Amino acid sequence: MYTPIQPLFSLFRRLIVASGFISLLILLSGCSLDTRMSTFVTKGPVAETQYNLFMITIWVTFFIFLAVGGTYLYVVLKFRERPGDDRPLPTQSHGNPLVELGLIGVSILLLVIIAVPTVQGIWYTHDTPNTEAAKLGNWYNGTALSEGEEDDVLTIRVIGYQWWWEFEYPQLGVTTANEMVIPAGKPIHIELRSVDVIHSFWLPRIAGKVDLIPGRANSMWIQAGDDFDQWNAKLEKQNIDLAEMDLQQDYQDYLEDEIHNYYYGQCAEYCGDSHARMLFRAHVVGDDEFSDWIDSQKQGHNAPDGKSWEDWYAAYDADPDLLTGDINEGLKLFIGRGQCSGCHAIDGNPRTIAGVAGPSLTNVGERHSIAAGWLNHRNEDGSIDDDLQYANFVKWIKETDEVKPGNLMWWTRLGNGLGQMKEPLNDDEIHKLSVFLQTLK
Amino acid sequence: MSSTITETHTQHTGADSALKPERSQLGLLRPDHSKSVWISWLTTVDHKKIGVMYGAMALFFLLVGGFEALVIRTQLAIPENDLISAERYNQLFTMHGTTMIFLAVMPLNAAFFNFLVPLQIGARDVAFPRINSFSLWAFVAGALVINFGWLLEALEMFGLFNASGPTAGMNDFVPAMGWFGYAPITGKEFTGAGTDFWIMGLQILGIASLTAAMNFVVTIINMRAPGMKMMRMPVFTWMTLVVSLLIIFAFPAITVALGQLMFDRLFDTSFFATAGGGQPILWQHLFWIFGHPEVYILVLPAMGIVSEVLPAFSRKPLFGYAIVVFSGAVIGFLGFAVWSHHMFTTGLGKVATAAFSLLTMAIAVPTGVKIFNWIGTLWGGRVRFAPPMIFSLGFVWMFMMGGFSGIMHSSAPADAQQQDSYFVIAHFHYVAIGGIFLAVVSGIYFWLPKITGKMWKGNLSTYVAILSTVGLNITFFPMHFLGLLGMPRRTHTYLAGFGWETYNLVCTIGAYILATGIFLLVVDMIRCLRSGEPAGDDPWDARTLEWSTTSPPQVYNFARTPVIHARDAHWEDKYGPESRHTTYEADDGHGIHMPSNSWMPLIASVGFIPLGLGLSLMQAGVPFMGYMAIFGLITIFSAVALWAIEGPGGYHLHPKEATA
Repeated sequence: MYTPIQPLFSLFRRLIVASGFISLLILLSGCSLDTRMSTFVTKGPVAETQYNLFMITIWVTFFIFLAVGGTYLYVVLKFRERPGDDRPLPTQSHGNPLVELGLIGVSILLLVIIAVPTVQGIWYTHDTPNTEAAKLGNWYNGTALSEGEEDDVLTIRVIGYQWWWEFEYPQLGVTTANEMVIPAGKPIHIELRSVDVIHSFWLPRIAGKVDLIPGRANSMWIQAGDDFDQWNAKLEKQNIDLAEMDLQQDYQDYLEDEIHNYYYGQCAEYCGDSHARMLFRAHVVGDDEFSDWIDSQKQGHNAPDGKSWEDWYAAYDADPDLLTGDINEGLKLFIGRGQCSGCHAIDGNPRTIAGVAGPSLTNVGERHSIAAGWLNHRNEDGSIDDDLQYANFVKWIKETDEVKPGNLMWWTRLGNGLGQMKEPLNDDEIHKLSVFLQTLK
Repeated sequence: MSSTITETHTQHTGADSALKPERSQLGLLRPDHSKSVWISWLTTVDHKKIGVMYGAMALFFLLVGGFEALVIRTQLAIPENDLISAERYNQLFTMHGTTMIFLAVMPLNAAFFNFLVPLQIGARDVAFPRINSFSLWAFVAGALVINFGWLLEALEMFGLFNASGPTAGMNDFVPAMGWFGYAPITGKEFTGAGTDFWIMGLQILGIASLTAAMNFVVTIINMRAPGMKMMRMPVFTWMTLVVSLLIIFAFPAITVALGQLMFDRLFDTSFFATAGGGQPILWQHLFWIFGHPEVYILVLPAMGIVSEVLPAFSRKPLFGYAIVVFSGAVIGFLGFAVWSHHMFTTGLGKVATAAFSLLTMAIAVPTGVKIFNWIGTLWGGRVRFAPPMIFSLGFVWMFMMGGFSGIMHSSAPADAQQQDSYFVIAHFHYVAIGGIFLAVVSGIYFWLPKITGKMWKGNLSTYVAILSTVGLNITFFPMHFLGLLGMPRRTHTYLAGFGWETYNLVCTIGAYILATGIFLLVVDMIRCLRSGEPAGDDPWDARTLEWSTTSPPQVYNFARTPVIHARDAHWEDKYGPESRHTTYEADDGHGIHMPSNSWMPLIASVGFIPLGLGLSLMQAGVPFMGYMAIFGLITIFSAVALWAIEGPGGYHLHPKEATA
C-alpha cells in the first residue's frame, strides 16, 4: 500500500500562508482601484446600480466562503490521518437527509438575497428614464434642435466599424468619431448599430456594455453623474442640513468637480485583427459647453488663409501651385493625391462632405487621441500636446497598417488605400498633411 | 494487501491467437494475426487500449494548448508588446480555446470513460467495440483538420508553400474568430480558410462525440453485471451516463449551426450573413444551447472522479450518494436552461434577461449540494493525503472559488460589467484548471497504477500539486481585478496607464509556474511508466469494482462475470459482511467471447480527412477539391458498408481459473 506523504501537511500550511501573502501583496502594491476604466469607482446611476449588485454578490459569496471554506478546512485538518493513527475504520454512514435539505434551503435563501435586487436592477438599467429635467427642450440651449424633439431625451447613435466608432446626434444633426461629447447629469439614449461584425460599447465608469450587432437595433442608456433629484436624495440620506445650502449651486459644483472629465471606453466584443485597438473616449461637459460644441461641429471649418471656400476652390481650380504653405499643401493632398476625402468628411469644406467609409475629421485637431483612441496626445491637465499630436498624425499616416493591422485606410477593396499607392506619400507630404489636420479645430 | 479474494480468478493465460479467425466473412484479412504492434493498436477494439490512446492524445493536445497559452501570456506581460502580431495572437487564443475544450478535456474525459466504465460495471467491453474505435479515430481526424492550418503556416514560413495560382483564394489558414465563432465574423468577407477548417473539424469531432456518447449510454444501461443496479453504480459511471445524454442532446444544436455556417460560406446562403438578411444572433442562440451544456460535459466527469477519490481516501462511503447522483442529473437538465446568460449583453430584453438570470442562480444549488456532500464525506473519515487525494482536495477548494465568481455573473446587471472582460477569464479558468484539470490529475494519480500496473515513485506529486495550485492562483486571481478594472478579453495588447501593467505581469509569471507544474506532471508520469515497482491490484485500498481486477486488467477484464450485492463492491469484499461480497457466475465452459480487431473503423475515420479538407479548400476556390470531398465520402460509406458485412468475427478465451 502507498504510504501517505508525511511532509505534505506542513507544505500545505505553507502554501496557504504563501498564497494569502501574495494576494495581499497584489492588493497593496499600489494597484489602485480608481483607474481609467475601473468599474469600482463609478460615475453615474447605471454603473452604480451594477456596482451595488456586484457588491451584494461579493458579500453573499464571502459569507458562503467563510462558512463552507471554514468547515472544509476544519474537516480536512481535524480528520487527517496522522502518523501512527490507530483510529478504527470510520462508520460507513451514507448521509443525512435532514442536513441535506437544510443546506439546500439555506442556499436558496442566500440566492434570493441576490435575486430580488437583480430583477430590480434589470428593469432599472433597461429603460431610458424620461424625466422632465431630462427632456432636450428643458436644458439644451444651443441651435439646430430638430422640430418635435423637445420632449425626448438626447439620443446618440453609436455605429461600430472595424475598428473605430461613429457617434451621430440625430436630433442635432451632428456626427463625430471616436470621441463623443456628452452633457453631465442627463440620461442619454444610445442606439447601437454595426455595419460589419459584432462590437460592444463599454464605458466602464458610466455603464456596463451592450453589443452592437449587425442587422439588429439594440439600445441602452447612459448617464454621467447623478441628476439633481438623485444627488439630492443621496444628501438627504446622509442627513446633511439642506436649509443652509444653495442646492442648485452645490449641484453644479458637484458636476464640475466630480463628473466633468474625460472617460475611457473600449470595444468589448472580439471584432477581428485590431479589436484591441478599438477604443473610444467620452468627454463629459456642462450644458453650455455641450451646446457650444454642437454649434462648432455644425459650423465646420473655414478655408485656410481666411478665404471663403468659394475663393479657395476658385484659386485651386485656376492654379493650385499658387496656394502655398504647409496648410494649403496639406489640404491639396487631402483632396488630391492623398485621396483622403474619398472616405473622410470635414464639415464646412464643400468637396469633403461625401466621405462615409472613414471617421469624420471635423474638429479632429480638438480630439485628444486619434486612431480610435490608440495614439494619445492628452496632457495630464487635459490640454493637448501639440508636438505629440503632430507625431501621432505622422505615425498614423505613415504606418497605418502597423498601428491598426488589417484596417481599410491601408488596404481597401477598391485599391485606393495608402498601402496600395504606386508612389507612396513621402515624408514631406505626410508632414504637410499632418500640419493641415492639426489646424482642424 | 487485500487482493487475496480477487487474485484467484483473474490469472492470465495468454490469448490463444490460433483461435482468432484469420479472415472475415468477406474473405478480407483480419488484422488479429499481425505481429506489428502498430497494427494491433490501430485496429484494436479493446476499450482499455482505446482509453489509453484517447488519454495520450489528449495529453499531447493539453501540452499544445498550454504552449499556446504561454505565448499568449508572454505577449501580454508588458503593455504595447510586439512579440507576436495581432493576427497571430487571435489565432492563438482561438486555437487555445478550441484545443483545450475539444482536443484536450473532452478526450481526457473520454479516456476515463473508456478505461473505467466497463470495469466499474463489470462488463467485458463497451456495447459497440468497433464504434468505440471509430469514435477515437474520428476524433483524431477532426483534430488534424482543425490544426491543418498550422501545417500550412509552417510550410509557408519555410518557403515551401505560398497561396498562389490554384490556391490563390486561400488566406488566414489558422482560425482566428474565437472558439465561439460568433457570426458574422465567420463570414467569408471577414475570415479565410482557417474558419472552414474549424467548421469541418468541429463537425467531425461532433460525430466522434455523438457516437461515443451513444455507445456509453447503451453500455451503461445494458451491460451492467448482475446485481449492479443503477443505484449501486459508482458515481463516475453515473456522471458518464449524464454526460453522454448531455452530448446527445447538446451536439445536434451545434451540428445544425455549423451546417448552416458551412452553407453560408460554401453556397452563399444567408442564415447568418447580414448582407442577405441573415441573423447573426441566431448563431449565438444555437451555439450556446450547445455551449452551456458543453460546460457541464466538461466538468461533470471531473466531479465523478472526485466523488470516487474522496471516499477512497476518507475510508467512508460518499455522503448522500443518491443526492449527489440526483444533483448531477439536475445540473445536466438545468444546463439546457441557462444558455442565454452568455448573452446578457446582446439585448435580450428585460423578461428573458431576468428569467435566465434567475435560472442561472438556481443551477448554483445542485452545484453547492455536491460541495456539501464532499465535505460530508470527509467528515469523520480518516483523511489520507495520498497523491490522488491532494488533487481532489485542491479541486473542491478551487472549484468553489470558480463557483463564487459564477454566482457573481448570474446577476445580469453586474454581468454587464464583467462580460467579455478578464473577470470571465478568471472565472472559467478557476473552473477549468482549478476544477477540471486538478480532478483529471487526481484521476491520473488514482488510476494510472491500475492502467499500467506500475506504481508511482517518490513524491514529485506534491510539487506538481503545489506548483499547479500556486501557479493557477497567481495567474488567475489577479484577472478578477483586471476585468473589473476594465480590461477586455481577446485583446492582443493594451496601452500603459490603465492600471493593468502590474496585474498582467503577475499573471504571466503565474502562467510559467503553472507550466512548470504541468511539466513535472509529465515527468512524474514517465517515471511511473518506467517504474519497476508493481502496483498490485488495489494499491489505494479503494472501493469500487475496477480495483478487483488485476493491474493492468486482463484483455477480458473479468474471468467470470461478477454478481454484485452492494454499492462499493470491492470495499465490501474486503471489509463488509459475507452477504455483501461479490460472487462470480459459475463457469459454463463456454469461455469469454472476444471480438476480432478491425480495419474498418480506422478507414472510415480517415475518410473524414479528405472530406473535411476537401470542403474547406473548395470554399477557398482550390480546383478539384470537390472531388476530394466526394472521395472522402465514398471512403467513409464503403468502410462502413464493409464493416457491416465483414461480420463481428471473434473467438473464445478460456482463462485458466475459469476452465479449472
